[in-house]
Amino acid sequence: MIKTRYGRDHGYLMVDHRNSPGIPEWMARMSGYDPALVREGKRFEAKTMCCAHCKVHVVPHPQRTERASCPKCNHHYICDVCDFEMRQPDYIHRPYEKTVELTLAGNQPLGTPPMLTP
Amino acid sequence: MGKRVFQAPVWSPTATADTTALANNTFMAIGATNATSGLLVQEIEIGGQGSASSPMIMMFARDSTLGATLTALAAPNSDGPMHTLGQAGATGTLTFNFAGTSPQRSATTTSARLNLSFNGFGGIVRWQAAPFEEWGIVGVTASVSESSLSSFTGSTPANIGAHIIYEAYNT
Repeated sequence: MIKTRYGRDHGYLMVDHRNSPGIPEWMARMSGYDPALVREGKRFEAKTMCCAHCKVHVVPHPQRTERASCPKCNHHYICDVCDFEMRQPDYIHRPYEKTVELTLAGNQPLGTPPMLTP
Repeated sequence: MGKRVFQAPVWSPTATADTTALANNTFMAIGATNATSGLLVQEIEIGGQGSASSPMIMMFARDSTLGATLTALAAPNSDGPMHTLGQAGATGTLTFNFAGTSPQRSATTTSARLNLSFNGFGGIVRWQAAPFEEWGIVGVTASVSESSLSSFTGSTPANIGAHIIYEAYNT
């Protein structure tokens, strides 16, 4: 596996409008696409970056160079939301793998328990 | 457990806000069945089948309200192993598009979601995860135990077809 700056390989996103009218600019920006590449007759391809803490995938902006990474996750990329969370004084480090472990152990680390009252 | 494909060849998503019940047959939901099971979503592909321009904001997002009283998939929808020697049923996995209690997309800002906008009139969108970077679903806890593919507010509905490739596991 090829190592990248943020630790691991990237995902892949393809949006093909070569036979389609494409989407409006506001929708493209909302999705993180380059608006010029999702117009009619265009095809957009991008690597996606996966957050080590929440597993969201983001389309990186080509002109942005500064991105957060987690030193406890082998400097793997983390998204802006998780970066903000990580900077809070009461933050407890929790990569996604830890979330899986806690969930399988029945410790309900996220969200609402399936039954609030027995 | 081997890779599996959950697919629905023709369905029409309707623009639905977060934390609002998704109407039957306007979503594709995938989740774990019990506390010790989980799955990894490796690919999502959506193809537009509309007959007029239909910009659609498709979201693959975690569900804050899980689907309940599920109806089994009906043809031509399907969920089966990619390898011919794989087992027919996926132990520990739920795939559905009809439910007595419909799933609701989470609005939590710290909850992951994929925004897969495209035009349903001839457009194609495809996302693949790298190894070890898959979308994880685990256990029976909202919101980590179920995710759904649906259309967000602001979309112009059109018929689409979609598939979700995933790998289930049990601990």
